[in-house]
Amino acid sequence: MVRSQRWRVRVGAILATTAALVLTGCADQGSAPPPKVPGQADTSGYDQIIAGSPVADAAAIPAGSWADTIKQRGKLIRGGTDQGALFSLKDPATGKVTGFDAGMAAMLAHYITGKTDADAVELVATTVDTRETLIQNKTVDAVFATYTITEPRAQKVAFAGPYYESGTSIMVKKDNTAINSVNDLAGKNVATEANSTAVLALQQFAPQANVLLFQDDASCVAALQQGRADAYVLDEAILLSDASTNPVFKLVGQPFTKEPYGIGLPLDDPAAKQFVNDWLQKIYADGSWAKLWKATVGTVVSGDAPTPPTLGSVAGS
Amino acid sequence: MRVVTDNLGFLLGGLLVTLELTVLGFVGALLLGTVLAVFRVSPIAPLRWVGAVYVEVLRNMPLLTLLILVVFGLPDVGITFSLFTSAAVCMAAFAAAFVCEAVRGGINTVPVGQAEAARSLGFTFTQSLRYVILPPAFRTMVQPLVNIFIGVVLGSSLASAVGVSELTNRTQVLNLQSAEAVVLFLVSGAIYLVIALLGGAAGGALERRVSGGRAR
Repeated sequence: MVRSQRWRVRVGAILATTAALVLTGCADQGSAPPPKVPGQADTSGYDQIIAGSPVADAAAIPAGSWADTIKQRGKLIRGGTDQGALFSLKDPATGKVTGFDAGMAAMLAHYITGKTDADAVELVATTVDTRETLIQNKTVDAVFATYTITEPRAQKVAFAGPYYESGTSIMVKKDNTAINSVNDLAGKNVATEANSTAVLALQQFAPQANVLLFQDDASCVAALQQGRADAYVLDEAILLSDASTNPVFKLVGQPFTKEPYGIGLPLDDPAAKQFVNDWLQKIYADGSWAKLWKATVGTVVSGDAPTPPTLGSVAGS
Repeated sequence: MRVVTDNLGFLLGGLLVTLELTVLGFVGALLLGTVLAVFRVSPIAPLRWVGAVYVEVLRNMPLLTLLILVVFGLPDVGITFSLFTSAAVCMAAFAAAFVCEAVRGGINTVPVGQAEAARSLGFTFTQSLRYVILPPAFRTMVQPLVNIFIGVVLGSSLASAVGVSELTNRTQVLNLQSAEAVVLFLVSGAIYLVIALLGGAAGGALERRVSGGRAR
């Protein structure tokens, strides 16, 4: 999002004529061609990983079970977002939603239905405000949405997993030397996404910070770029992705929390949770999980795929 | 309900910000909107054009778009307001377009003969507005202005999207902690309902007063 002078002039013109709706588009693209979005760069390899993931034996899906409903329907109804960089992002050109969470959902749909086409997963947009309710009233089969397992949430829904362990990290402008760790956030303006658990991490680890909540990653990036915020705090992988496309940013310190992500399932169906955990065990064992990590999160995090988290290892899972 | 009672101070703080946004936005809109309405009925053509362009642009744009433009667009041309100021300015600028039309509509309910009579008595444009046209016009404006007030109250929740820590924003934060979305949004919805109802009641009382008991 490096903005040229010409772009500024154009914004002026846009404001003046209030041809407002195009602004978001301009802001995302600047005058340079849009950077490749990490995790979406190589969709053919990504598709192969899903096609190569395991398929359930007929015996594993008893008639009338949670998985059988999905199999009969021929598609998995997934709760999630299409605006999450690296985890679940829609390519406006193709309409395809890809990323680590999207790939996990596609693999589960493949496991149950044997299908890999785009229709195998139907995405129902969920937000932090609606996730538990949409699982409880069975609007969605499962939620894959960087869904941190917490105990209050586990009283409403069941969590399979954890299937990913992340941490909350800090991003600042490169010329900022005042912020080097979470302890330096006191009294600073700190941007984060309104619907992320980073909000809770800040309350716990930096209660003196002045927290600014924005709706999405792009708004937080703009706030940091424009100096409204001194730091941007969120999931490390997402910040790495932002820093990889915005050379004026840097990450400081190590992640200061552990965020175990789980797959949200109905609380009243223990067999469904068992089924999904069995599937996770299979994709951990056969390497599909690691390949998906490499093709998505691995595009911004260096090194090999980590060891998958142990199922049931956190309270609430 | 525990989550609400345990965090009452936090929620009330958000309510205060919502009320501040509402009052600043509505009062600002009344002032700016009245000036614009005067523009729109003035005998000077360029002023009428300014009023018309303002109304058509601001009235026909989503408030959220305006908020995002002011919060994230203006800093790119070197103008940075605080988030709260940005939101208050947007609320006022947006609602002013509606106030303008409500005031103009009120003015147009006064028969043109009265304006002509005022002019023939030697009143200037300003005097005839002040003494002849606006007093009866105001009665017919009260209910449209109440509608606009309610629009400002409810529209202030959009400021949550650009980082203003008002009622809706704080409701979202509490939901993150507690996963009690239904309870929390019922409570915040009820608070908005009460503010809007109080606004409506005040408007009704005002209408009865200015119409001398003739309101139905």
